[in-house]
Amino acid sequence: MTTAQPETVPKSFRPVEFEVTAGGEGFLLGSRCSNCGAHFFPVRQACSGCLHADLETVRFSTTATLYTFSVVRQSTPDFAVPYALGYVDLPEGVRVMAQLTGRDPEDYQIGMEMELVVEPFGADEDGNEMTGYRFQPKEGSQ
Amino acid sequence: MTGVYVLGVGMTRFGKHPDKDAADLGSAAFQEAVTDAGIEPRQIEAAYCGHVFQGMVTGQRILAQVGLAGLPLSNVENACSSGATAIREASLAIRAGEHDVVMAVGTEHLTTKFRGALTPDPSDPEAAVGATMPSVYAMRARRYMEEFGMTRRQLALVAVKNKRNAAANPLAHFRKEITVEDVLESRPIADPLRLHDCSPVTDGAAAVVLVSDRAVKKLGNGRAIRLAASTLFTGTVDVEPTTMTFEPLTHKTALAAYERAGIGPEDVDFAEVHDCFSIAEVLRVEGLGLFERGAYPGAVERGEADIGGRLPINPSGGLLGKGHPLGGTGVAQVVELVRQLRGEAGDRQIEGAKVGLAHCRGGKAVGIEGAACTVQVLVK
Ligand SMILES: [Zn+2]
Repeated sequence: MTTAQPETVPKSFRPVEFEVTAGGEGFLLGSRCSNCGAHFFPVRQACSGCLHADLETVRFSTTATLYTFSVVRQSTPDFAVPYALGYVDLPEGVRVMAQLTGRDPEDYQIGMEMELVVEPFGADEDGNEMTGYRFQPKEGSQ
Repeated sequence: MTGVYVLGVGMTRFGKHPDKDAADLGSAAFQEAVTDAGIEPRQIEAAYCGHVFQGMVTGQRILAQVGLAGLPLSNVENACSSGATAIREASLAIRAGEHDVVMAVGTEHLTTKFRGALTPDPSDPEAAVGATMPSVYAMRARRYMEEFGMTRRQLALVAVKNKRNAAANPLAHFRKEITVEDVLESRPIADPLRLHDCSPVTDGAAAVVLVSDRAVKKLGNGRAIRLAASTLFTGTVDVEPTTMTFEPLTHKTALAAYERAGIGPEDVDFAEVHDCFSIAEVLRVEGLGLFERGAYPGAVERGEADIGGRLPINPSGGLLGKGHPLGGTGVAQVVELVRQLRGEAGDRQIEGAKVGLAHCRGGKAVGIEGAACTVQVLVK
């Protein structure tokens, strides 16, 4: 983590959970149990299934299915309302909470096929823009 | 192993207390519980204090106020289950034979700590993307509506029922009945939930004196109620996504409590459950096995959960009506159970109740179904 990164690499808002590549691609990070294959988000120290402690950090798929969602109308000062928030299920068998984007808040539906998009997500203490993830309906989804 | 009994109970009015702090409120509840137990303060041997946002050694500040500094005391934090966990710890100290008379007190001065929506701890990855407690329950509500066909109107009836019960409770935060239309027209918080679907930001405290078999024989005032079970579990990390319309954590904690108490869900006459949101009551009672999965919204509509119904739920007004001072909440549920079982519940009295159940569930951490869950069973 000591190597200087070129200025063009976007800064992830949560580097432990979300990796942004120099090319601007984004990946959710989690753990895969090398013993039983279970996946976890975020990174864990041991597997809750088999208690094996040999977990590897992996990039998750960027596609998902919308399990449920809400439109948040009252939040903390860190988040401008309204925003759509959902739980999406990844093919690895992991459910992740994420903000939703790409549709009017009323136009999401449970079961929609979604994909991860890399978007500006807040600012650090020095006011520099950070990069995060949202999920949007795949083109042609319902 | 000795049995455990609730000998005395105390509770402040729930609501806004701008001129008091958490220790003031806790002290008032503490002293009322001592008086109600008919004992001398010096007979208390140890204490447990549940609170969440009140800072270091709030319990010791209470002891200092009531003249009992010097007792062994542990402060207990388990989010919304903090007070209930204090009761469990007190009961374990008695069952272990270490003490015979123990105070469990829960307190919170929440109006000075929070405004608006509660959120998970800021370090949590879900908090980082904008999770609020109402939004998490809103998402569960939407999924439940999709799976079981619950209508928005049916969900509103949970809030209407609990605020009606609260109107009959002199210590409740809200004393005004509301209509379905009031719920549906209240301010949107996180779709589909609105303001009346959410428990309020409340100050308050409650306390209970727990005693052993030996102490109840010596001190018993004829009004002691047996704490037949007090169980606690934390949620597990899922190895694959599971349903959000049923609560395995609530279910597991309840099964352990039923086994310990030697009863089944069919023996429960009434319950105080953790209705932090209207949808939460639905998920709780089904997780507890008191109603079939998907059946509760219809049961509420038919009045089955009313005082006077087949199985009254939250006769005190619950968190929605009575209020939700985090640390005080779980203790106040047990206060309500005791008052109902003694026949001292006034206008909201349930006739002939013999077995009451209290359920708390608190906290949110990423990947965990729920942080801490407690179930207490009280038997007359
Ligand atoms: Zn494993």
